[in-house]
Amino acid sequence: MTFERRILLALMALAAVLPLFVRDQYVLHIAIMVLFFAVLASSLNLVVGYVGEFSLGHTAFLGTGAYTAAILATQHGWPLWATIPMAGLLAALVGVVIGALTLRLQGPFFVIVTLSFAEVLRLIADNWIGLTNGPMGIAGVPQPEWLAQASNLAAKQFYYGIAWVLLALTLYLSYRFVYSNAGRAAVAVRENRYVAQSIGIRPLNYTMLALVLGALLSGMAGGFYAHYISFVGPEVFRFAFMVSMIIMVLIGGKGTLVGPLIGALLVTFLEEYLREAKELRLSIFGLAVIAIVLFLPRGLMGFITQRREARGEALPATGNASAAPTTQRSPA
Amino acid sequence: MSSATLSLPQRTLEIRGLGKSFGGIHAVKDISFDVKTGEIVGLIGPNGAGKTTCFNLITGFYSPSTGQVRLGGEDVTGKKPFEMARMGIVRSFQKTNILKSLTVFENVLTGHYLEAHQPLWRTFFPGRAVREAEHSVRESATRIVHTMGLGHRIDTPASALSCGELRLLEVALALAAKPEILMLDEPAAGLNSQEARTFGDILKTLRGTLVRSILIVEHNMSLVMGVCDRIVVMHFGQKLAEGSPADIQGNKQVIDAYLGGGNQA
Repeated sequence: MTFERRILLALMALAAVLPLFVRDQYVLHIAIMVLFFAVLASSLNLVVGYVGEFSLGHTAFLGTGAYTAAILATQHGWPLWATIPMAGLLAALVGVVIGALTLRLQGPFFVIVTLSFAEVLRLIADNWIGLTNGPMGIAGVPQPEWLAQASNLAAKQFYYGIAWVLLALTLYLSYRFVYSNAGRAAVAVRENRYVAQSIGIRPLNYTMLALVLGALLSGMAGGFYAHYISFVGPEVFRFAFMVSMIIMVLIGGKGTLVGPLIGALLVTFLEEYLREAKELRLSIFGLAVIAIVLFLPRGLMGFITQRREARGEALPATGNASAAPTTQRSPA
Repeated sequence: MSSATLSLPQRTLEIRGLGKSFGGIHAVKDISFDVKTGEIVGLIGPNGAGKTTCFNLITGFYSPSTGQVRLGGEDVTGKKPFEMARMGIVRSFQKTNILKSLTVFENVLTGHYLEAHQPLWRTFFPGRAVREAEHSVRESATRIVHTMGLGHRIDTPASALSCGELRLLEVALALAAKPEILMLDEPAAGLNSQEARTFGDILKTLRGTLVRSILIVEHNMSLVMGVCDRIVVMHFGQKLAEGSPADIQGNKQVIDAYLGGGNQA
């Protein structure tokens, strides 16, 4: 708990000072994408890691958020600070609807149905030309006015700041959720539904909470994306985003808060460096995922915690520390 | 904790004419008995007699075809399992069911779900009240782990426990939900006779300190006879006999059911 919190705080502090040293726009762009993907991967992890169901429909929330922000900004002139929260809220609403329909299913059934929801939304975005401008997408999502005069670097720094705040919010909410009674209830449902029910937990309450929280966060990430890229098309619903998110969560370690951050960092950089490999890129990612699933089933973070625990357990044997945790915890 | 501080209601669990059929098979037929407050009641019978089905009917994992379950006079038939837990009836499972990837302490802490329950917004903005509640459930979890004799294993992952320790953890997990009536389904299965004796002693201390009454399904006769105030015997889905351990031990029908009636039929 404290170990994880310290890593999170350290990473966020590091991310906060980064723009002071980095003046290169390209690097800053990559850093923004890392933050953006960290939000997405963390939000997917709430479902995959803490509810224990594999959602392939997370792009539904990302896309809903992106389109919400784009439409509100271009057609209704809403400013950025209002579109992004609204994008999150609407995605959360979609989360409630999708959750109410899909969370009654488990295992492969859940996977297939969530996937089809993302596809249905993509078809809607492709065909409801009046609202979404169809395959042409919505171009020219407005930037805040002062940014038009500011330099490109200042614009990048501005978006970096927003992405940082979004990630901080994501981590705060996730941390509070995971280390609360509600988070324990979600884990109980993940581990054993029968036990969960027999101690008074209504499973749907917590699978729903995790899903809607994930939807809210990825919806806001979508809203951010719409403004930053300033273009939204039906491809936000495409499977490619989903693949990136899954790889990040699996490589970093599902069911940990730090894992998705590490995953986002690694995968975003790899995607950039492997640009030259073109088609080969996805094959390389495929192999990486197979290797992770085979050799590090709990991801990098799972591996590190395991090592840490193994070391921690080895220590008490030499001292008398084995009694310490119990005396420390037990009431008088 | 003494019985004076035990702040649980004192209600009688009444089972009336409970029945369940799967297709044409009557797994349980017309079972009636009471678990009065302060009692330890044993439910025994040969394999396949319908004891576990009976448990599933009472706790809402199955819905009964006929009959009623009443708690303190209130009809609670067909409530969902989590609703039964909220009403104060918590069960353990015959096939060990725990939260495998968590430690012993985390398992029992999770069991305090109802006690630690907060309004949703409190999850994200916990104040002092939440921190205090968390502190008190942590203390309670530690206490329960020690009561069940798992103190030396408190930080061990559940997946690393021995079979006997798992049974104890299962009871600890059920106790954590602070039930008025604790229902245990073969808690001593897999324990050796020494462990079973210790387990029986622990059970007796639970009544009046952590729970009001206990309903226990068990095959270990010395344990059942040693701890129960009253025993209900089931055979082929029906109630065969009910009475004190001494009555049951001398009951010819019961002996026949267990050892086979031979030429009677």
